[in-house]
Amino acid sequence: MSDIHTLSGAYVLDAVNDIERAAFARHLAECSSCTQEVAELTETAGRLADVSVTAPPVHLRGRVLEEIGRTRQLPPRPAQPTRVARPWRRWAAGAVAAALVLLAVGAGALVEEQRVRDAQRQSVQATAIEDVLSAPDAVLHTVAGPDGQGRVTVVVSQSRDQAVAVLGDLPAPGADRAYQLWMIKDGQTTDKGLLAAGATGGTKLIDGVRGEQRFAITNEPKQGSAAPTTPHPPVNFPLT
Amino acid sequence: MTSSTPRRLESGPVDPPGLDDLLRRVARGDETAFATLYDRLAPRVFGLALRIVRDPAQAEEVAQEAFVDMWRTAGRFDPERGSAVSWALTIAHRRAVDRVRAEQATADRARKAAVSDVAYDEVVEAATARFEQQQVRRCLGSLTELQREAVTLAYYRGYTYREVAELLGAALPTIKTRMRDALIRLRDCLGVSFG
Repeated sequence: MSDIHTLSGAYVLDAVNDIERAAFARHLAECSSCTQEVAELTETAGRLADVSVTAPPVHLRGRVLEEIGRTRQLPPRPAQPTRVARPWRRWAAGAVAAALVLLAVGAGALVEEQRVRDAQRQSVQATAIEDVLSAPDAVLHTVAGPDGQGRVTVVVSQSRDQAVAVLGDLPAPGADRAYQLWMIKDGQTTDKGLLAAGATGGTKLIDGVRGEQRFAITNEPKQGSAAPTTPHPPVNFPLT
Repeated sequence: MTSSTPRRLESGPVDPPGLDDLLRRVARGDETAFATLYDRLAPRVFGLALRIVRDPAQAEEVAQEAFVDMWRTAGRFDPERGSAVSWALTIAHRRAVDRVRAEQATADRARKAAVSDVAYDEVVEAATARFEQQQVRRCLGSLTELQREAVTLAYYRGYTYREVAELLGAALPTIKTRMRDALIRLRDCLGVSFG
């Protein structure tokens, strides 16, 4: 039984972070026995709500019905395109899942911290992160962090024009310093986000990745810089 | 986990008949069907939200978000993959957990303090006599202490398995395994099965 498989209980109980959830969902798609186990355990977990049945306040009904009156419904899920079972693709998917689970410790902190700023936006962002990680054309790049410490993983989906960067266990950036993410095209750097001050890891959803050639991170003042302050980023690797 | 019988989830004693049909109508935009769905599910959805977020005003918001989610995504409900009740509760649970985790990050609340009042006591003390509730309580009582704490801290408190491991002073792989073992034991005890 693979390690990720044992996550089924925690997954069903929502006791995982967004990255682990996406990785496990990806595993589920390729493991039919897991699908059945997860269905049964989900049903079981639902029974735990039996003991907390409570009549809601009467006014909630009116509010909910009013709200759905102005809420558009999603169409049924489109049929999944048949995946071509090329060996490299399977390997890549497994590697993405495994790498993300390994990195998830560091990733959780930032995902949670971002939530605080805007729970609503964050919920949308968490969904977007899952979508990138599970995109059929997701390509995984992973390298060591600055001074060989920690890991930097970037998952790029050309079809979605988005990427997810997962950084974990990097060396501490120093007082009032933060890691900043960049993408580089024809020598032109574009700011792709800033980790929290002092953070040694985090997860960032990155928009606009088509045509970008390299990914880099630099150590910057905590408010970030308009352009990298060093010509030699400690992490700098090709995306193509 | 191995079963060669057709994959159809038995709904169990708590799933009122016809919810699948109601959801199909909801997916076509039927607001009357949605109102019926609300009436059937609201006590469970609101109760779960209240148990997790504790604050009644926030529980209302969470329940409302969950019902709006159900309205939005009704077309994506797949009866082959689970009952309507568990689909609805999965949505509500996720919403409630998202809410408490955002709060946790804001308040950076003293998580250690929670160890002393593990949710099982409340579960046991909840004063109701319904058969299903008794059954759930009886089955929770059949778990080992570590299994029960792992499940209740995660489900009723919204803790991640990492936080549960920290709270209980156990290794991560142990907690992952206990959560899975506990749910398997509960599944067998409650008779949740494929028919």
